Amino acid sequence: MVSRNKRREVSFSTDQRGLTVATEREANGANPQRSSPDGLACRSCDLIFDVSMLRDGESANCTRCGGFLSRYTANQFEQVAAVSLAALVLLGLGCSYPFILLKFNGLESAMTLPQVSLSLISHGMPVLSFCVAGFIIVIPAVVLLLLLAMTGAIVTDRHYRWLPWVGRVIFTLKSWSMVEVFFLGVLVSLVKVSRMATVEMGVAFWAYAAFSVLFVLAMSGLDRAQSWRRIEWLGQ
Amino acid sequence: MSNLQPTAASRGLACCHLCLKLVSQATHRCPRCGSTIHSRKANSLERTLALLMTATILYIPANLLPIMITDQLGQSIESTIVGGVILLLDMGSIAIALVIFAASVIIPLTKLALLYYLCWSVRRGPPETVRQRTAIYRVIEFIGKWSMIDVFVVAILVALINLSNLLVIRPGPAALAFAGVVILSMVAAESFDPRLMWDRQETIDE
Ligand SMILES: [Zn+2]
Ligand SMILES: [Zn+2]
Repeated sequence: MVSRNKRREVSFSTDQRGLTVATEREANGANPQRSSPDGLACRSCDLIFDVSMLRDGESANCTRCGGFLSRYTANQFEQVAAVSLAALVLLGLGCSYPFILLKFNGLESAMTLPQVSLSLISHGMPVLSFCVAGFIIVIPAVVLLLLLAMTGAIVTDRHYRWLPWVGRVIFTLKSWSMVEVFFLGVLVSLVKVSRMATVEMGVAFWAYAAFSVLFVLAMSGLDRAQSWRRIEWLGQ
Repeated sequence: MSNLQPTAASRGLACCHLCLKLVSQATHRCPRCGSTIHSRKANSLERTLALLMTATILYIPANLLPIMITDQLGQSIESTIVGGVILLLDMGSIAIALVIFAASVIIPLTKLALLYYLCWSVRRGPPETVRQRTAIYRVIEFIGKWSMIDVFVVAILVALINLSNLLVIRPGPAALAFAGVVILSMVAAESFDPRLMWDRQETIDE
């Protein structure tokens, strides 16, 4: 969870409609749609809450099971758009330059990122190759591209017919990217190989390292409830 | 308590699993995102158990078959997941051995065992632990993909170490089986519906 803003727990009370709402009501860093109450149910225990009163930097958790509900950040979509764009450029670099260089008994070889997946095909494992490519390159790239489209539409206040479809693909795919897991795998491999050969990190290694940090930042900055409230609001 | 803090189900509402919109349970398609609306995940327990059992069975070949084959100077050495960890310990890479052991043995086995327990607890679990069980579910959801490390390490070594006849590393069938275990148990965790545990809690309270 990354938030540079102050984080405060919001207390809940029950209003006349029987919905549980956040009690803070000052206009400081106001949520543009705070006037329209919008209930959501906790994904873990089904209790109903209203998160439309969250102020900038505040996050809400379920009072019964502690599950995360939503966080409101005033410039969330600008931030996510900028981070996604940078991450996409870095992923492009990470795919096109040597990732790791190896020197062993006078022999040299270089590995690129797509080769991590492609070399599995040449060893007769197309299914595994497909999965690896998906987890580390394709799914993150698709999520970032669609995220740029979604945040672009939200930031410029425009509605498009494909917006709900884009949102659905983003929130379905995002739990299937394994960027940070792969990067830990890279570090483990480097330590393993460095015992028998000389290894050098290429340009793509550093690009992918920065990419994975930005990707995790973009994913944790993106709030499901707030994104969909904005998409719905644009469509009205 | 259920009067003060209503659940969506108790008001005839359902929360869209994808966009979190609250709609009437009679709705078929979410008006906001277009997903199919279910008050609870469809056939949650049956699906979770079926996926769990498949993952458990697949975990056996994942451990018995070689995950990586090293061809060095005409000689082939096969290594299993646990064999690889022991080899790392022999070489003195204790930290790396621990990472691989945690990711490939401890995490998947704990995850499978805890998911079986959660499925069992929906009907028979002690009601006072429902909050802790929900916390367990969230940890399982978060930790699942970290098991994939060893598969990635094999894929990287295969791509990196390919030095003509001198030294070649090939992936073994266990790499595919183990990737299957991780993916199936991730889908199993996604199919489990923690709200079922709270539903039973509420019928006890009343
Ligand atoms: Zn809850
Ligand atoms: Zn929806």
